Amino acid sequence: MYSYRKAAHLLLCILIMSQTGCWSSKEIEDLSMYTGLALDKAELSPVEQAMEEKGETYQKRNIVTATVQIVPERPSGSSEKGQSQSQQTPRYLNISETGDSVFETFRQYNIRRDRPIIGHHLKVIVVSAQLVKEWKMRQLMDFILRDNDIRPSCMVFLSEEKASDTLVTKYKNEIPSFHILDMLRNQFRSSKIMKGVSLSELDALMHSRRSFILQNIVKARGEVAFSGAGIIKGETSNWIGKLSQEDVLSIAWITGEVKGGALKAYDKRNQSISYEVKSLKSKIKAEISQGEVVSFHVDIKSEGRLIENWDSEENPSELKYMKEAEEQFEGKLKDMLKSSLEKMQSKYKVEVSGFGDWLSIEKPHIWKKVKDNWDETFSHIPVTFDAKFTITDFGSSTE
Amino acid sequence: MFKRTDDKITSAQAAIFLTNTVLGAGILTLPRGVTDVVRTPDAWLSLLLGGVIVMLVLLIMVKLSQQFPGHTVYQYSRRIVGTVPGAFLSLLLIVYFIIIAGFEIRVLAEVAMFFLLEGTPIWAIVIPFVWTGAYLLFGGINTIARVYQIIFPISLFVLILCYAFSIKLFELDHLRPVLSEGLVPVLKGLKSTVLVFTGCEVAMTLTAYLQHPKQAVKAMFMGIGIPLVLYLLTIVMVIGGLSLDSVTTSTWPTIDLVRSFEIPGFFFERLEFPLLVIWMMQMFCNFCSFFFNASLGISQVFKLRFHPVVFALIPAIFISVMVPKRINDVFALGDAIGRMGIGLFFLVPVLLSVVLIIRKKGLKQSV
Repeated sequence: MYSYRKAAHLLLCILIMSQTGCWSSKEIEDLSMYTGLALDKAELSPVEQAMEEKGETYQKRNIVTATVQIVPERPSGSSEKGQSQSQQTPRYLNISETGDSVFETFRQYNIRRDRPIIGHHLKVIVVSAQLVKEWKMRQLMDFILRDNDIRPSCMVFLSEEKASDTLVTKYKNEIPSFHILDMLRNQFRSSKIMKGVSLSELDALMHSRRSFILQNIVKARGEVAFSGAGIIKGETSNWIGKLSQEDVLSIAWITGEVKGGALKAYDKRNQSISYEVKSLKSKIKAEISQGEVVSFHVDIKSEGRLIENWDSEENPSELKYMKEAEEQFEGKLKDMLKSSLEKMQSKYKVEVSGFGDWLSIEKPHIWKKVKDNWDETFSHIPVTFDAKFTITDFGSSTE
Repeated sequence: MFKRTDDKITSAQAAIFLTNTVLGAGILTLPRGVTDVVRTPDAWLSLLLGGVIVMLVLLIMVKLSQQFPGHTVYQYSRRIVGTVPGAFLSLLLIVYFIIIAGFEIRVLAEVAMFFLLEGTPIWAIVIPFVWTGAYLLFGGINTIARVYQIIFPISLFVLILCYAFSIKLFELDHLRPVLSEGLVPVLKGLKSTVLVFTGCEVAMTLTAYLQHPKQAVKAMFMGIGIPLVLYLLTIVMVIGGLSLDSVTTSTWPTIDLVRSFEIPGFFFERLEFPLLVIWMMQMFCNFCSFFFNASLGISQVFKLRFHPVVFALIPAIFISVMVPKRINDVFALGDAIGRMGIGLFFLVPVLLSVVLIIRKKGLKQSV
């Protein structure tokens, strides 16, 4: 009996020892975390070209070049070089692979790098507009939406140039993918920055088969900027064109998403006057007859501050001038909205400014009839604007 | 015969027992299941309606069980319709419980393998849970209920925390328009919303263990009311946060909702891991309830001792876990369980009640 209990205890101890730790744990030091991903039209990097010449290739079509941004390139502790040298090497590593399956290219990194890449911390995806022109957004994003490591909180952008260039910076201490992500926070200062589109939102947009826009990133001399937006046509899921910074601003005014920022106009002496938005209310109305939308009307009401005035002849604290300025701003806004809408309705024949959303919520019965052909239908519907600005104050200077 | 006259639970314990039986894998899959059928943002209305129906069902079960104080459905079914038919109905119920027990653990394992423990074999995830469950069962219903009392507040806290942080994604417009296509889609959705309450059959055994059987209706309504509120909250937050289109394309919408935001500076930057880990405990509770009810059934129907039955059921549960090959099979099994639940409802409580009423009122027999 005694020895039986002893054996049982021993067995228990052995069992407990086998229960420690995690079955499939991987040390984080042995993994390469990537925070940025750029998808481009196939263009072999010099390394890839040289490899391919030596016969290092496999059966594939060269369609997409996927560039991942790995941070940090090596763990900070393992740098044996001095401080001065480590400052010269960038804190990230961009590595590209070309192929015709995003997943396969991802696995292809493994034959070049010692530490496998892992997508838990992917923050930013930049897709080249040229690539989306040829291939569908749905195809390109398919793996990314299915993957279990990549979180749907990741933000998606477009770039008209080479997307992988936007993941390079001239500043040594900056990581481009984090830089782009953090720029999104500036939306409260400029409505030219769209509300970021995350992967889960992109999924919904693509599934709804409606046209949508994604923020466009431009790159020049080692710096990046948000500029305008690229339009993805709903039916084809292809990139069809670009909206300017003003167009993005117009859409924000129509949807009422403006959280702050400037509106500049010229007064009668052609001097700059600027309006700082404090609040904004936008209301869409539709005239409907016989179950069809005849016209849309957008009513915009805004309160703000006259924050800059270059016209020395005028006194901004005078009520008369304030009223005048209000009219200037209203006119300026209406012109901007009209030209943006003109571009959407005539040039691209798409609707990306929230009228469809409004219709689907307020008039679901009409929406049901027009939703399949909404872009085309909308381009024939006249839209009128009305703006009412109220300048509530003139800042800390009275003259 | 196996009898535990001392093993009683309070009304509060019974309520939490039922809650932890019903509230489980449904949280992870319900939003997609409903929106797939409803296809308008009115899914939450379906759930509300489904909840009311389930409450009526529960009322029938409890009222029936109250006719036989201290007896479970396995015991009184025999007294109502005779030994063999009664045993047959009990067996149906037992098989049903074994299948759900397997299903709960399978969903737990699928989620764990996909998001948490990539590379761990499924048996390594399943077996510890089944063994621990068996160990818990040995303690009897009181012990199980006490474990539930510990686990439930924790899982509730984490779930609410996740939803609280997801408010920044929430847009009321995603839930509009209300009733754009009338009541038809809402009624269609009923099918899948009733399914998430499968397992409420447990009420027919729980009532027997109540310290105060008079409070049974109150306790069971409380026990089904908590999951109803949480399921409602889930649907509202998930559809409001992700929008209808995103929910229908997502395999695990609730997890995707939590994966759609990061909280910089908070102790956990990503809440899906705490949610998953805690929710695994919740699914473990589900599993234990069904495991317990299946074991209890077999021991009472065949008049066997309880402990050997628990041991004997371990392989049966394990097989039931491993039968689905693909994830599609798992989801199909979930739907099938729902249909079985509806069938069993008519076969067991309704049939038994009708026979009981006929015998008592019609034939004036004493049962």
